[in-house]
Amino acid sequence: MRRYVWLGLLLTASPALAQPDLDAANEQWLQAAAGKVAPSVVLIETTGGRGRAGTGGPTDSGIRKGTGPTTGLVVAADGYVITSSFNFADKPTAITVSVPGRPGRLVAKVVAIDHSRMLTLLKIEATGLPVPEAVPPGDVRIGQWAIALGRALDPLPDHPPSMSVGIISAVNRIWGRCLQTDAKVSPVNYGGPLVAADGRVLGILVPASPSGDGETSGFEWYDSGISFAVPFHHVLAVLPQLKAGKDLKRGLLGITPKGSDQFSVALTVNTVTPESTAARGGIKPGDVVIAVDGQPVANQAQAYHILGPKYAGDKVAITVKRGDEEKTFRDLELMGNVPPYRHPFLGILPVRDDPELGVAIRSVYPGSPAEKAGLQAGDRIMKVKLPGMAKARAFSGRDQLREMLDTVPAGVEIQLECTAGDGKSKSATLTAGLLPDDAPVLVSGGDATARKALAPRKQPAPDLPDLLKGKDKDKGKAKDKAPKKEEPKAEEKKAAAKPPETGLLQRTSPARDREYWMYVPPTYDPNVAHGVVIWLHGSTAVGREGKDVMEIWGPVCASNNLIMIGPKSTSATGWLASEAEFVIETLQEVLPQYTVDRQRIVAHGMGTGGQMAYYLAFNSRDLIRGVATSGAPLASTPKDNVAGQRLSFFVVAGGKDPLAKDIAGAKPALTEKRFPVCFREVPDMGKEYLDRATFEDLVRWIETLDRL
Amino acid sequence: MKIRATIALVFLAAAAPAQDRYATIAQATNARMVKVFGSGGFRGVVAYGTGIVVSPDGYVLTAAGSLLDTPELRVHLPDGRRCSAKLVVIEPALDAALIKVEMVEDLPFFDVAAAAARPLALPGTWILGFTNCFEIATRDEAMSVQRGVIQAYTRLPLQRGIFEAPYTGEVYVLDAVTNNPGAAGGALVSRSGTLLGLIGKELRNAAADTWVNYAVPVQARIEVRDGEAKRIVSLAEFVSLGMRGQYKPTAKPEKSAGDGGYHGIVLVPNVVERTPPYVEETVPGSPAAAAGLRPDDLIVYVDGEPVISVAAFRAIMSRTHAGQVIKLEVRRGDRLEPVELKLGERKPQK
Repeated sequence: MRRYVWLGLLLTASPALAQPDLDAANEQWLQAAAGKVAPSVVLIETTGGRGRAGTGGPTDSGIRKGTGPTTGLVVAADGYVITSSFNFADKPTAITVSVPGRPGRLVAKVVAIDHSRMLTLLKIEATGLPVPEAVPPGDVRIGQWAIALGRALDPLPDHPPSMSVGIISAVNRIWGRCLQTDAKVSPVNYGGPLVAADGRVLGILVPASPSGDGETSGFEWYDSGISFAVPFHHVLAVLPQLKAGKDLKRGLLGITPKGSDQFSVALTVNTVTPESTAARGGIKPGDVVIAVDGQPVANQAQAYHILGPKYAGDKVAITVKRGDEEKTFRDLELMGNVPPYRHPFLGILPVRDDPELGVAIRSVYPGSPAEKAGLQAGDRIMKVKLPGMAKARAFSGRDQLREMLDTVPAGVEIQLECTAGDGKSKSATLTAGLLPDDAPVLVSGGDATARKALAPRKQPAPDLPDLLKGKDKDKGKAKDKAPKKEEPKAEEKKAAAKPPETGLLQRTSPARDREYWMYVPPTYDPNVAHGVVIWLHGSTAVGREGKDVMEIWGPVCASNNLIMIGPKSTSATGWLASEAEFVIETLQEVLPQYTVDRQRIVAHGMGTGGQMAYYLAFNSRDLIRGVATSGAPLASTPKDNVAGQRLSFFVVAGGKDPLAKDIAGAKPALTEKRFPVCFREVPDMGKEYLDRATFEDLVRWIETLDRL
Repeated sequence: MKIRATIALVFLAAAAPAQDRYATIAQATNARMVKVFGSGGFRGVVAYGTGIVVSPDGYVLTAAGSLLDTPELRVHLPDGRRCSAKLVVIEPALDAALIKVEMVEDLPFFDVAAAAARPLALPGTWILGFTNCFEIATRDEAMSVQRGVIQAYTRLPLQRGIFEAPYTGEVYVLDAVTNNPGAAGGALVSRSGTLLGLIGKELRNAAADTWVNYAVPVQARIEVRDGEAKRIVSLAEFVSLGMRGQYKPTAKPEKSAGDGGYHGIVLVPNVVERTPPYVEETVPGSPAAAAGLRPDDLIVYVDGEPVISVAAFRAIMSRTHAGQVIKLEVRRGDRLEPVELKLGERKPQK
C-alpha cells in the first residue's frame, strides 16, 4: 500500500520536480517500475548436473548452459517460481532460490517444464510471496518502454535487481510465442521479468530463436538488441497445468514442408510421418495447406504463426487443396512427439558422376531389399514408382533418385524399372528398408565413378503426370537440395582457366584472417566428384597440422577421391561454438573451387574436435552429410532426422577412455532420432586416434555415404 | 497552472538544439577526453586507448595495460594537438594508470576528488559512455558516445573464476555495449555530466560466454593485500597523490601456491566437468568429521559462495588457510544444513 502511495506521488510530482529535465523524470519513473516488481524477482543457483567431457568441448565456452546464478519470478504466493529452461539444460543436481527480504536460501524442485515456451516452474517452501501483475494481451504496444530485470549479476537478493532498459520491438515473434525487446538480455537476466513502465510484467525473458527449439537456442543473440520474452499473461494462463506437474510440449502435426522457402510459396506437404496426427487425419503428401483454423494462409510462415503457439493436445483445423478439391480436416489433435523421419533404403551403391539417364548400380548390399528383388551390380535403374505416383517416373542420376526417395518413409513399396547389364529390361518390386547403420564390406562391383561429373546431364523426357509436374516446378527453389545441376559448369570454366591446386595447401581465410590447411590428392580429376572431410583437431596440438594428419589420410584421399580441410581453432582449450561460422566459411570457400560430392561432406574430429563435429553438423544440416567422432560425448540432445537432409554418424569410443560411457551414450540418443549410427568400441583404445581396423571402417563408411 | 507553465518551458527547451541536455554534456565531456596511442598492434592487443583529463596541466587517468609500455606514448587532445606523454604511475589493484601530457596548460578537466565525493549511482541511472573504441577518432575528432543505463552495481565475481580482470572491487555493469577495443580508460558520465567512472577493458564472463560491459566507479575504494600487509586503495587518492608524485603502488599480489587449509572431506570422484560435490566420506578425526559432515551431503555453498562442482570446491578451498573457520551449507535430504569447519594444518605429503 505504502509503495503505491509513493509511486503515485512520484508520478504526479515528477514533471514539476524535474523542471527542465524530462530525462530525470523518465529515469525515476522506470526505476520505480523496476522497484515495484523487484520483490518478486528471485535469485536461482544450481549445483552439479549433466557434465561434459573433461577439459571441455565446443559447448563448454560456446553454449555452456546456465552454470552461473540466474533469475526467476514469483508466480504464486505459495512458492511457485517461473524461470527460463536455459538455466536447467544441464539438469542440475540441486537448485536453490533466494527470495528478496527473506533470510537464507531455499531448496527448489522442478515442478514442470513448458518445452514450447522454454520455461521451467519451480516450487519452494514459502508462503506470502508477492506476485506481480501481468499486462493483459491487448495492452502490449510496440514501442512501449520495457525493462529487463535480473539477479545473476549480484548475489544479494536484497539489492536492487539488475536493470537494462529498452522498448517492445515487436509482438507475436518466434511463431506467435514471444514478445521482442531491444533491452539487453543475456544469461544475466534469462528467467527474469520484462517490466512495463507502470510496474506490470510484460513477459519472462528467454533465449529464443525462430529457427531453433532447444533450451539454449537463441543464446547467440544475447545482448544484441534482439531479445525475447514469453508474455506473462500466457504464463499465468498455463500455470494451473504446470502446477499440476504437467509438462507442456509444442503441438505437432507430423508433416514436413516442401522446400525451405517460408514466404514466397504455399505450404505444400512434402512428407507425412506415419502414425502422426496428419497421417491419421488423412493429410497426404502433395496437399497444399490453404487455411489453418479457418484463417487463410498463403505461405509456410503464415501457417507456422497459427500453429506455433499451440500445445500438444490442442486441436486444429487444416484446410488443404488436393488437385482441384478442397478438404478440411477438423479436430486434429496435435502431438507432442512425432516419430522422426526414417529414410527408405533400396540397398544399392550408385555409380557417381554419370550423366546418363537413370542410375547405374555399383554394388548391391547383401541381404538388402534390392538384393532380394534380384537387382545386381551393373543394372541400371531407369524409372521408379513410389506410393502415390500414377506411373513410374524417369530421372537423371543419383541425386534426383535420392530426392524422390526422400519423399517417402522406410517401409513403403517401391517399384523399379531397370535395364540389366545384358540390355534386357527387368522390373523389381521391393519394400524399402531403413537406411542401415553400418557400412558393408564392399562386394565386388563396378567403378565408383563414371568420371563424367562435368558432362552435361541428360534429362528425362517431360512425360510426367500432372501431379508430379506441379512438384517439379519448385524443385529449383528448394535450397537444401544437394548439387545444383548448374554448378559443375561454373566449375568447369574455372578448371579450364587454371588447373586446380593439389597437394597440401596452407591457406588463410580472407574474411577472417584465420588459418586452415587443405589437402587435394595429386590424382584430383575435376570429372570426379570428391568427398570432403573436415578435420577438426582435438584440444591438444596433436592433429592440428596438416602434415601429421595426412600421414594417415593422404593415401586414402587419393584412393577414395577425398579432399581434406583442416581449419584451426584459436582457442587453447578446444573449439568454441562461435567458431562454427569460420569452419563453414572455409568449406564454402573450397566448394566452388573443386568438384565436390555434396553427399559425402563429413565433419570428423576427436575429443573436443568431435564435439565440434556434432555441433557443426546439427547447425549446418544443408551442408554436412556425415559426422565421424572419436572420444567425443554428445553434449546436447540431438535434433530430429529430416527427410531432405540426410545425416549419418560414425561414433568411436575407446574402452579405456574414462568418458567411454558418455561417448557411447551418443549411439542410443542418435538412434532414437532415427539417424543411422555406426558405433565402434575399441577396447584397448584410450584417447588416441583410431586403430587400423576402425580407420578402415571409417573410410568405407565415407565411401558408402551416398547409399540408396 | 504552475505545472502547465513548466511543461511548456520544458518543450521549448527541448526544441532548441543548443539546449539539448545530452548534446551539452557530450560537448563538455569531449573537451575533457584524450586519445592515447602506445604500444600494441599485435595478437589482438590494440595500440590505442582512451583517457580522461583530470588536471589543467595535463594529467590523464586511463586504464593500465601494455598500451603504456612504451617511451613513445602519444595523446591527441580534443583540439587536435598531438602531444607526447609520460607514464606517471600504475595501480594494478585498480587497473588504472596516470599519465602526464607534456607541455600543456589550462585544459578543461574532470575533478576526480569532487566526483568521488558524490553518492554512487543506482541501477537504472541513465548514463553516457565516451570512448575511442575501434580508433574511430583521431586528432580533434570526437569520441564515440553511447547511451544506456547502469544495469547493476556489483562485484566482478573474480573469486568464482569467471572473470579475468585484475580489478576486484565493485563495478557499474552497463547495458550499453561500451567495452570494445580501445575503449578502456573512457569516461562514464551521468545524464547531468558528472563523472561516474572509468570504462574498463573487454571482459568475458567465461561461464556464460558473454561479454561484460563495465566501468570502475570513481568512488572505487578497495582493500587489497600489499605483500603481507593489507591496505585500502582508492581511485581518488590514486589520482590526487599520483599528480603530486607521492603515490606508492601496491605490489602485484602473489598467487598463493598452497593447497589451503585441511578439511578432511573426501568427495566423490571428479568424473565429469560439473560433478556435483557430494561428500563420499570424511577422514576420521578430521575437521570435517568433527563438524558432523556425512556421506551423501551435497556441498552447495562455502561462505555463501555457490559451489557448482567438485572442481569449484577445490578451487575455493585452495584459497583458505589453516585456522580459518569456513561455513558450509550442505543439502541433506530436502534441507540446507549449515556446517562450520575449523580448518587444520595440512600434513606434509611424502
